[in-house]
Amino acid sequence: MNGAARNNGLARALLGAISIGSVLAAWWLVTSLELVKPLILPPPADVWTGFLDIWHGYLNVPFWNHFLASISVMLGGYAMAIVVGVPLGIFMAWNRVADWVFGPLLQILRPIPPPAWIPLAILWFGIGYAGKIFIVFVAAAVPCILNSYLAIKQTPPELLSSARSLGAKPRTLLFEVAIPSGLPTIMTGLRIALGIAWASIVAAELVVSLAGFGFLIMNGYRNLESNIVFVGMAAVAVLGLLMNVLFVHIERALLPWREDQDNG
Amino acid sequence: MQNDLSYENVTMRFEGRSGAVQALERFDFQVNSSEFLVIVGPSGCGKSTLLHLTAGLYKPPTGRILLGGAEIKEPGPDKAIVFQNFSLFPWKTVHDNIDFGLRINGIPATEREEQIKRVIHLIGLEGFENHYPRQLSGGMQQRVAIARSFVLKPRTLLMDEPFAALDAQNRQIMQEELVRIWQTQRPTVLFITHSVEEAVFLADRVIVMTRRPGRVKEVIDIAQIAGENHWRSDPFDEVIRRADFQDTRSRIWGLVKSEISVRN
Repeated sequence: MNGAARNNGLARALLGAISIGSVLAAWWLVTSLELVKPLILPPPADVWTGFLDIWHGYLNVPFWNHFLASISVMLGGYAMAIVVGVPLGIFMAWNRVADWVFGPLLQILRPIPPPAWIPLAILWFGIGYAGKIFIVFVAAAVPCILNSYLAIKQTPPELLSSARSLGAKPRTLLFEVAIPSGLPTIMTGLRIALGIAWASIVAAELVVSLAGFGFLIMNGYRNLESNIVFVGMAAVAVLGLLMNVLFVHIERALLPWREDQDNG
Repeated sequence: MQNDLSYENVTMRFEGRSGAVQALERFDFQVNSSEFLVIVGPSGCGKSTLLHLTAGLYKPPTGRILLGGAEIKEPGPDKAIVFQNFSLFPWKTVHDNIDFGLRINGIPATEREEQIKRVIHLIGLEGFENHYPRQLSGGMQQRVAIARSFVLKPRTLLMDEPFAALDAQNRQIMQEELVRIWQTQRPTVLFITHSVEEAVFLADRVIVMTRRPGRVKEVIDIAQIAGENHWRSDPFDEVIRRADFQDTRSRIWGLVKSEISVRN
């Protein structure tokens, strides 16, 4: 029933608010009673002043520079991962020889966590943008390849048989049946890749950078300003959340035929 | 009567995990032009295999299948197949699903629109052109699947348990609908079903197949029993009350049952 569904939604929102509110209240309580040192856990007020600091230009670098530094590198690596990863995954799924050539290589590289690439990336591409773009690329390409591969492999055989029976040749089967049929799975891969790309740019900036949210977090740590660390982490969280929400909206607009989009 | 489709010594085996499975053995049969042929038989007797071979989805290792005198070597719209699960393209609207076969076979746009309009009228789905498959009932989806094949004016229409996924009421409606649609073009129909009642109602001839490996057990000439104006043109619920219909049904069911009980 509609009423029950609305009640469920309300209960969910309420519990979520209570959960976040409790953590914030506990934080405020613990710090205002001075149960822990500000270095370990800065009071909410300190974090707020830290935020204002950063907003107006922490260490003479305006907030938007950090934002642009992180976002631009992330989008660069993410775009490259899509451009390379999606066609590669589709190609491997469609062509047996390509699967045999690239499959083992991918299986060997896949278990390496993105931060483990940082030293090599610096050696190969230096400490500028190129090295960080490389790390984001390596990290985000994996879900792009895997999901695209899976998407094509999972094309319902009866759809392919129907299309062949209607006169479709291999090219048509790939571009007009397998790819559109797999698009939801490919999009899921792109969404996972977006989250990983964001995580890996921050990780890369922690190691080497002159701006960006990773830089902010690391700088706060080095200067023993844990409120700055908090603000950096919060910014990463909020922006990551916003990107995901934006992506879900784009996904819905692109796939109006999906079953989970029925509203009536 | 002219022979449209002929099977010469067709044998088919599959390599399964537990050894080879003999699906068809020396299947020999002649189908007349414009004939409505229904195949019944126990589960796993190779009925579906026979249909897939006729569609050209794969080739029999021995024997030949001829359509209009030429050996079937690949799938194509002259022998379109309709599956039990409709197999519509979920990302395409009703209009675009029907358009698919016309478009990839290079029919000019203006003629395509004419043809689409014609078959949509034929299946009674005017006003649903821009609906996605998920927005339609099972019966409506199967109408679209039939229209998608029918619009290509196939010489032979292959139907693999097309109504098995529908509830009893819809099944009855679709049986009557199919007769009406079929009579506008009268392609040769190969129709597979588990329902003996459906077979007796629709068929010119019914083939009863043996259990695996499938061969022709018996051929029943329904057209002779059903009279000059075949009973399929009459309402289903009137036809099933006829004594000659019931006798024929019991006889065929006896034949199918003997094949099932031999195994168990």
